[in-house]
Amino acid sequence: MQMKDLIQNLVSGASVGCTYGLMGLGVVFLWQSIRRINFANITPSMVAAYVFYILYSRLGLSFVPSLLGTISVVVVYGLGLRFLIYEEIKKHSGGRLEFVVATLMLCTLFLNLMIVFFGSLPRPFPPVFGKPTDFVSLFGVSISVVYVYIFAIVAILVGFLYFFLNKTLVGKCLKAFAQNEEAAILMGVNVNLMRSISFVLSAVVVGIAGILLAPIYFVSLELGGGTIGVKGFASAVLAGLVNPYGAILGGICIGLIENFSAMFISSTYKDVFAFLILITVLLVKPSGIFVGKLQRRTEEAG
Amino acid sequence: MNRMKTRLKARLVVILCLVASLLYPLFELNEYRIYLMNIGLINCIVASGIVFVTGFAGQISFGQAAFYAIGAYSSAILTKTYKVPLSIGMAIGALISLLLGLALSIPSFKLRAFFLSLVTIGFGQIVHMILINWRSVTGGSYGFFGIPPMKIGGHIFSYGDYYLILLLTLMFVIFVMYKIRYSYIGKCMLAINDDEIAASTCGVNVKKLKMFAFAFSAVVASIAGSIYAHMSGFLTPEPFSFFQSSNFVAMAVIGGLRSILGGLIGGMVLTILPELLRLGKYRGWENYYLIVTSLIVIAIVVRMPKGLSQIPHVLLRRARRNVS
Repeated sequence: MQMKDLIQNLVSGASVGCTYGLMGLGVVFLWQSIRRINFANITPSMVAAYVFYILYSRLGLSFVPSLLGTISVVVVYGLGLRFLIYEEIKKHSGGRLEFVVATLMLCTLFLNLMIVFFGSLPRPFPPVFGKPTDFVSLFGVSISVVYVYIFAIVAILVGFLYFFLNKTLVGKCLKAFAQNEEAAILMGVNVNLMRSISFVLSAVVVGIAGILLAPIYFVSLELGGGTIGVKGFASAVLAGLVNPYGAILGGICIGLIENFSAMFISSTYKDVFAFLILITVLLVKPSGIFVGKLQRRTEEAG
Repeated sequence: MNRMKTRLKARLVVILCLVASLLYPLFELNEYRIYLMNIGLINCIVASGIVFVTGFAGQISFGQAAFYAIGAYSSAILTKTYKVPLSIGMAIGALISLLLGLALSIPSFKLRAFFLSLVTIGFGQIVHMILINWRSVTGGSYGFFGIPPMKIGGHIFSYGDYYLILLLTLMFVIFVMYKIRYSYIGKCMLAINDDEIAASTCGVNVKKLKMFAFAFSAVVASIAGSIYAHMSGFLTPEPFSFFQSSNFVAMAVIGGLRSILGGLIGGMVLTILPELLRLGKYRGWENYYLIVTSLIVIAIVVRMPKGLSQIPHVLLRRARRNVS
């Protein structure tokens, strides 16, 4: 085993893990807002990857307009999820399980839509983050540019989220709403708006994760499938479903474990390890690992 | 007096339905349709198991396709590779599922709702990956071929015979569920579903009942899987994925989770609906049938959270209101 392989694995595991973390972030935002788990959490990432592919490769737009277009589509998706699924179920007095099944079906619906319109063959993602064959040399180890981009973008995103949640009024309202809805109403927080914001935030974050993962997984149905989605859930669970930064850390952990188990134990069973970790964490410490001292889960997931 | 009459009428309807469904393969000459009905019955059996564990005992399980797979593969491998008699193969498959079902019920002591569903999803995915990757035993994604069919004496079963076997199994499962539902055990289960802590303070043995519910649904799914393996003659890991599990849950939910017939209705609707859309006379629907199916399921789940089995009740209530 060479030092070089080790470092390469470290970098690729951590950066892919970052995107799992972003998906976990989507889960956390929605959990904080509606105390429900969206099983179509992964769908925006597939939608975003395909929309970006259309706008950039087919329509020939440049990077920024395609990104903005993609994000606006994902925002519409998030609002649609709220008003067409969540609110409707609530209106017809459906419970948690109905939401679960509806979102699962939403996931299959979008998978089928993509199969019908694009076929099931993966498409190459436009090389906006450098070609996969481009390498940068870091301490004598060559690392794919894609990974560097992923790191940089996730870092910027997390910084932005930190600023948004802690320094702006809207972000503070969002936090208050997540902690205690009734108290937030009494303090004059517009709960309706906050709920919409959290749906949108959740969808956008997952969508960006999809765009970041697309150079690695290609624009394929895998981005909307179960395996990556479960890894997103796993990173959220590691954060106890409450800590946004914990979700990113959890994602990085899962990415690293996955890569190193592939390297040292068995590459065919690498996904099995991710699930085993998920189950072990749930059994041993269901309140999560990367949870801040003040952020204990107030309510059991019952 | 009036009530007795309606009850008698209801029984008559049930018996007529049973007789009609038993005679169905005699009048149906289209092999493919019987095959489709068989798949539908298999789905009904598995979905009934989910109604039992999720609707009655309140424990979400997304691992049902795993038990289905374990039943199918263990029965297939034992009968083909080890030349074990078919009934013993099925029994061993059911036993493995029973033990794994008991093991899967352990997390449910501590975890609820979403967290439990994640554990069951993880379990399902692990089984699915083992099926794909353990090539020497399961044949991997190339599939497992040459599974011996069921036979009595020298008579190899046709699809019609499988239909009868499946129908009898389903009827037996529903009968057992009916008996349990209105017994002490069923009431305790519903109590757990409503409020676990309250149930346990009233002296309900929550752990035992959860173990029972998981084991029951696992065995039911496993038997359905065994019959499927022998009926189709070959297996691939494809139909045992997470999406199949979620499909089973969708069947149970749109059928009606709290209704004994929920699994039956949901399983049949979700098997036949895609085929109708696919083979229907509407041109250009072939590509879209899966999309339309998922749209319809979403609509049912959103608009009718209690499931399709509530429709007769709702209609009855409306009729009564109109009369009075």
